[in-house]
Amino acid sequence: MSGLKKGAAAWRTRLLSTGATLLGLLVLTFFIGRVMPIDPVLAIVGPDADVSTYQQVQAQLGLDRPLLVQFGHYIGELAQGNLGTSLLTGNAVSDDIARVFPATVELATLAIVVGTALGVPLGVFAASRRGRLGDHAVRVISLAGHSTPVFWFAMMGLLVFYAWLGWAGGSGRIALAFDGAIPRVTGLLLVDTLWSGNWDAFASSVQHIVLPACILGLHSMAYISRMTRSFMLAQLSQEYILAARVKGLSEAAVIWRHAFRNILVQLLTIVALAYGGLLEGAVLIETVFAWPGFGQYLTNSLLLGDMNSVMGCVLLVGIIFVTLNLISDALYQVFDPRMH
Amino acid sequence: MHFANLFKWLSLALALAISAAPAQAATPRDQLVIGMNMNNLLSLDPAGATGNDVLGVVANLYDYLVELDPHDLTIVKPALAEKWEIAPDRNSITLTLRDGVRFKSGRLLTAHDAAWSLHRVLKLNLAMASPWKSYGFSKTNAEQLITAPDARTLRIALPEPTDPKMVLYTLGTSVSSAILDRDTVLAHQKNGDLGAAWLLTHAAGSGPFVLTEWRAKDAMLLDRYDGYWRGPAKLRRVVMRHVPESLSLRFMIDRGDVDLAAGMAAPDIEALKHDGRVVVQPVKRGNTYYVALSLKDARYADKRVRLALRKLIDYDGINQAIMPHYGVAHQRPVMSGLAATLPDPGYKLDVAGARKLLAEAGYPNGFRTTIRVLSDPPMINIATALQATLAQAGIDASILPGTGNQVYGSMRDRKFEIVVGRGGGGVEPHPHANLRAMVYNPDNRDEARLTNFQGWRTSFHHDAINRLIEQAVRERDDATQLAMYREVQQLYDSEVGAIQPIAQMVDTVVLSRRVHGYVGHPSATTLLRDVYKE
Repeated sequence: MSGLKKGAAAWRTRLLSTGATLLGLLVLTFFIGRVMPIDPVLAIVGPDADVSTYQQVQAQLGLDRPLLVQFGHYIGELAQGNLGTSLLTGNAVSDDIARVFPATVELATLAIVVGTALGVPLGVFAASRRGRLGDHAVRVISLAGHSTPVFWFAMMGLLVFYAWLGWAGGSGRIALAFDGAIPRVTGLLLVDTLWSGNWDAFASSVQHIVLPACILGLHSMAYISRMTRSFMLAQLSQEYILAARVKGLSEAAVIWRHAFRNILVQLLTIVALAYGGLLEGAVLIETVFAWPGFGQYLTNSLLLGDMNSVMGCVLLVGIIFVTLNLISDALYQVFDPRMH
Repeated sequence: MHFANLFKWLSLALALAISAAPAQAATPRDQLVIGMNMNNLLSLDPAGATGNDVLGVVANLYDYLVELDPHDLTIVKPALAEKWEIAPDRNSITLTLRDGVRFKSGRLLTAHDAAWSLHRVLKLNLAMASPWKSYGFSKTNAEQLITAPDARTLRIALPEPTDPKMVLYTLGTSVSSAILDRDTVLAHQKNGDLGAAWLLTHAAGSGPFVLTEWRAKDAMLLDRYDGYWRGPAKLRRVVMRHVPESLSLRFMIDRGDVDLAAGMAAPDIEALKHDGRVVVQPVKRGNTYYVALSLKDARYADKRVRLALRKLIDYDGINQAIMPHYGVAHQRPVMSGLAATLPDPGYKLDVAGARKLLAEAGYPNGFRTTIRVLSDPPMINIATALQATLAQAGIDASILPGTGNQVYGSMRDRKFEIVVGRGGGGVEPHPHANLRAMVYNPDNRDEARLTNFQGWRTSFHHDAINRLIEQAVRERDDATQLAMYREVQQLYDSEVGAIQPIAQMVDTVVLSRRVHGYVGHPSATTLLRDVYKE
């Protein structure tokens, strides 16, 4: 009974702190947004509007009211599940986000799969050959991957695989011939094209996503491999590893069954954070590949001072990170016996 | 084991997908695919839509009463109005609308729709009410002055004496002059907004294309309207795709994935210039790239300092190195190509002359200043060139890059020293359109807040120039009017106005050779109804 109470109290505390974090995020974003030297009214009326038009639109948007009143109104609407209307697209912010977020989820998920599938083995490989040629090679690759601007990779990728070789699909999520032809079910084009049974459209969406996902994945791979190497080195210097070797276990068993299992918890955290970062918006990749995703939407909204959209996006980003943290906390319970 | 199988199948599917997809896709013959940056495409409402990009869309969704010939903008051609008449006293224009035009809803288009469309612009008082307000129309007098005595007659009574040609040009170029299907719009009205919220993302016109889908910052699909009164357009569909990165756009046109690339950066256009598969089509606009000085700053209030700065612009260098594909050399506030436009005065970089003037003004060692500028090319490149030549005369200029919102916002607030920008009216092919935007400033007080006049923004106020601009637009005799506009330019030159034009804007599009019949319109109202592909 006392265990259940303790569990409920822990969850209550966690939920309260999550709510406080999200509220703090909204407060900060709202007030920073309002002091930024960007005028959403000007974005709507254009630079040549006269003062009467300017003041009328400012009043229509409610931007002539005191900041606290504006914030109170926003929170009141939010409490009713209304994220407001995008000042600049005229759509409900929730509709806009529902349209752009799946595009980023699709891209980020494939990218994190690529990044993890390459980064983890490379990191383990480098750690197991510390100071040798293989280790140096992996370190150079990951350093180059991490320090080279992702948009440069994107440009080079487009040049080689799209413009020269014609293997990749170029900009956008799908060939224009299929634009508007795929019924939207999930918003994930790979899924929706499969669902519709249109194999040509599926092929086109695969062809369009592979290159940006691989480039994003390579960037994540660099980070994941460096962190994996570092975690593995810490484990490989432990006495239990020495004991395993003394027992006569094969090197593969020592590395994968003993050392690697013990870095899973840390690895999960960094993969989750990397995934969160990708979801938050791979804006440069989205720009180069004209990928109509969340990063571009958030950036454009920020640049135009569309604060309803910015607030909606920030709230979503906050929820993503909180959720990922909760998931990684839950997975700790699975992978770390000390948590049982 | 299951995972291994799944992995195998997924790999196979991916390999098949990649190999099955065509290496190079040609766009369909009956579709025109346009690649462009759609970041500035924010609203389709003719009452509130701003920017050049939206003009090209609205011109194909709606009809205007008249059209301007893209080869000679001063030629007004019939559109919805088959004829028009300017009253002998020049106080009104009567337009006769053609019969039998139907909106996409099936309703007949009448003069009542035309009058209502113009009333709506003024009642909403959004961005596009500006040209109408400049003629003296307002939300209170609109219904009284713009009337439809019958279904085919539209009468526009001018509230103030002005040149009726200007009004005709506005009817042919301004997005505010698009004629809306009143009943359809009112059916979507919410809280008395005259359909403003709905029209942000929808259209209700009679033009050659129908808006099928618009995903903001992604794609827009326009399908042919088969009931179009001129006959159906040659293309079945126009697809506009958002491609914000110029290099990506270049690769796309190179691969044949787009037929028309708009808004590309100069280096990418240059790279495609000699490609036999594409055509580079420059279209001159009425705007100019300029250097603006704020006369609220005591230093720039001194005519000698303004003259020194005029001498510190490397016009030739900028126009040869930076402006190709963005603009052509131009130093007058009135756009080139009009009868009233004086030949360029031939300003040159003259550092020695500038130093002398600065010394006379009490700045022998120069001074520190700031240049506000958009961080996009070519503006940022012009600012960098200007910074270098100012330094030669001892002026230490810091560049403050920003978005259009920040740069023009500071100008509207009169909080700047130097701005490198682009603008100056020029939508209507009339000297008044430029002079009103760039030079005219009837009330220089801060509290006047004439933020739509760049003359006010720069605090440049000259009674004689203002008077001449007011008189010229009312002048009935063409020769006298011409002389007046020339005198304004001479005065502006001798008084060293606050805004120094460097180049007249050019919009360059890159077209596939498969595309025929595309004629870029200087007013950005490019019509796609006669475009076709091989």
